[in-house]
Amino acid sequence: MGGGCREPAVRVGCDGASGGELVMVVVAKPLTRRLIIAWTACVVAFLYIPIVCVFLVSFHKARYFSFPFSDFTLDWYGKAFSSLQTQELMLVSLKVAGVVTAISVVLALFGALAFARFNWRGRKLFQRLLLLPIFFPQAVLGLALLIWLTFLGVLPSWQSAVFAHLVWIAPIVTLVVSIQVYGYDAAQEEAAFDLGATRLQVLREVTLPALAPGLVSGALFAFLLSWGNFPLSFFTTGADSTVPEWLYTRMVAGYTPLVPTMGALIVIGATIMLVLGYALIVLRRRRANSHG
Amino acid sequence: MTADQTEDAAPPILRLAGVTKTFGPIRAVDAVDLDIRDGEFFTIVGPSGSGKTTLLRMLAGLEKPSAGDILLRGERVNEVPANRRPTAMVFQSLALFQHKTVGQNIEFALKMRGIAQATRRARAHDLMTMLRLPHDYYSRPVTRISGGERQRVALARALASDPAILFFDEPLSAIDYRLRKQLEVELKDLHRETGKTFVYITHSLEEAMVMSDRIGIMRQGRLIQIGTPDEIYTRPLNKFVSEFMGEVNVLEVEQGGDGALHAREVARALKGPKLPDGATRGHLVIRPEALRFLGSGETADNVLEGELYNEYALGSRVQYHVKIGARMFVVERLREQRAAAAPGTTVTVGWNAADSIIVPD
Repeated sequence: MGGGCREPAVRVGCDGASGGELVMVVVAKPLTRRLIIAWTACVVAFLYIPIVCVFLVSFHKARYFSFPFSDFTLDWYGKAFSSLQTQELMLVSLKVAGVVTAISVVLALFGALAFARFNWRGRKLFQRLLLLPIFFPQAVLGLALLIWLTFLGVLPSWQSAVFAHLVWIAPIVTLVVSIQVYGYDAAQEEAAFDLGATRLQVLREVTLPALAPGLVSGALFAFLLSWGNFPLSFFTTGADSTVPEWLYTRMVAGYTPLVPTMGALIVIGATIMLVLGYALIVLRRRRANSHG
Repeated sequence: MTADQTEDAAPPILRLAGVTKTFGPIRAVDAVDLDIRDGEFFTIVGPSGSGKTTLLRMLAGLEKPSAGDILLRGERVNEVPANRRPTAMVFQSLALFQHKTVGQNIEFALKMRGIAQATRRARAHDLMTMLRLPHDYYSRPVTRISGGERQRVALARALASDPAILFFDEPLSAIDYRLRKQLEVELKDLHRETGKTFVYITHSLEEAMVMSDRIGIMRQGRLIQIGTPDEIYTRPLNKFVSEFMGEVNVLEVEQGGDGALHAREVARALKGPKLPDGATRGHLVIRPEALRFLGSGETADNVLEGELYNEYALGSRVQYHVKIGARMFVVERLREQRAAAAPGTTVTVGWNAADSIIVPD
């Protein structure tokens, strides 16, 4: 944590990735540095030990939680992948997260562009109204949506869960994309148009590539928030079930050793998405820098 | 003094006839008539809000006129959008594509026309040579070059498709003084080298003077005076134009029966040009460099005494503020003709009637 830039006491812009912004980094004295390292280690342990435990348990041969661990096995992973039920669970989670990601990124792109570019009446009010659902307890929001769906006569299913997730996730993604849009000079689009590009070419050549980092982060947020969501899915999936929902119901009644395994798989799925997203950003940057 | 009265041999490349743009009740551009000749450097000067940017955007096809016609080489182009006009614009923010390299920026217009990579690259290198950009900048991201280099990339990008007209929307306004002066000269040289028509807008008449063949002064949506830099400088249409030129001394005067001019702030009757027939009042404009300090024995048509308030060194010239009556006069002399007096002392200032002009409101 203290590594990276050591020699001078005060350094400006030491973080190479931050590209041009001024970052003041003060190098700490030895004791302070040791305390920082200890503190950081505590925080990391606090955050990750529970998840590591789930992983350990998921390899555990015995049928129930026990400590110390005895035999390790990959059987439960084999079962998780071969069981039709768990396959269905993952498929539903994946479908919901995928559709939520696609829709929320499109909504966020146009929403963010509208906020950043135009000054219309009620813009501020709309912005606040849009963000309000984030602050509702998700269980209350889920219940409210279920009541409303019932009132409308919609049979809850994974599709209605997509809708529920969007209410909560689309505003967050809009915020993430807005940050990118605010730092983007829209005159670039006019310049492209003036240089002979069609509206479609402007979108493909200028708008989307310029906003790509924001869109990728937004998509990651959308996918991860939907993939791991429990309270909204719990109320609105109806007969369908996502992995987090299944984990909960199995913990309440009918525990199986597949529970920690599925939990571990959720984390692995999220990690894969993160790594892919990061790789995408790094690849883009490298290609932009080495264009020949 | 509106459009050219004389018929040129070559038809104008761009003709504006009653071009108007309204935004609700506001007439941003109000019935502008103008002919721009093929190959000239025409600059539209006006304060912010005068409608000059809106006018330029209509010429580029980024905005449609509410009324009137824009003719490009005799053809009406009102409805032709920017991407189908043979013109290119250099934007105020330059609007370089931040995620692209120098080469990709320059080649953009060619890529949109489906021109092969090798041809594009050759053209980009030619332009980079012309604009003195090092060739190894070709694959560099535009975010990693200096401000002056960015200006040149923006120029190269606009020139790539060989447009008939180049439009400039105050591209030098955000640049520091020294670099701006240098780029003004480069731009004028580029105009000479390419022989293209340049239409430039700025709020700085000084900048316009350096570069332009002709200047149009814009105020409240109207082109109020069109002329060469020389004409604008020596015969400004009115007080607004004369003050736009920078610091000048303007006195509101009335002409007495004897032909002498009387200004409220100056006790003495002044000698100057005659007011136009029928007019009883006008503005007497005296340039700072027309004023000089008079030693004993020296004389001028108008001689006034005042207090030397302060002096300001401007490099090769020195500017003085001299308080005469209730009025502060600006005097500018070459460094070698500087006043012998110190601030706070009384000086005698004079000018000749022929060095002043009379303008209406």
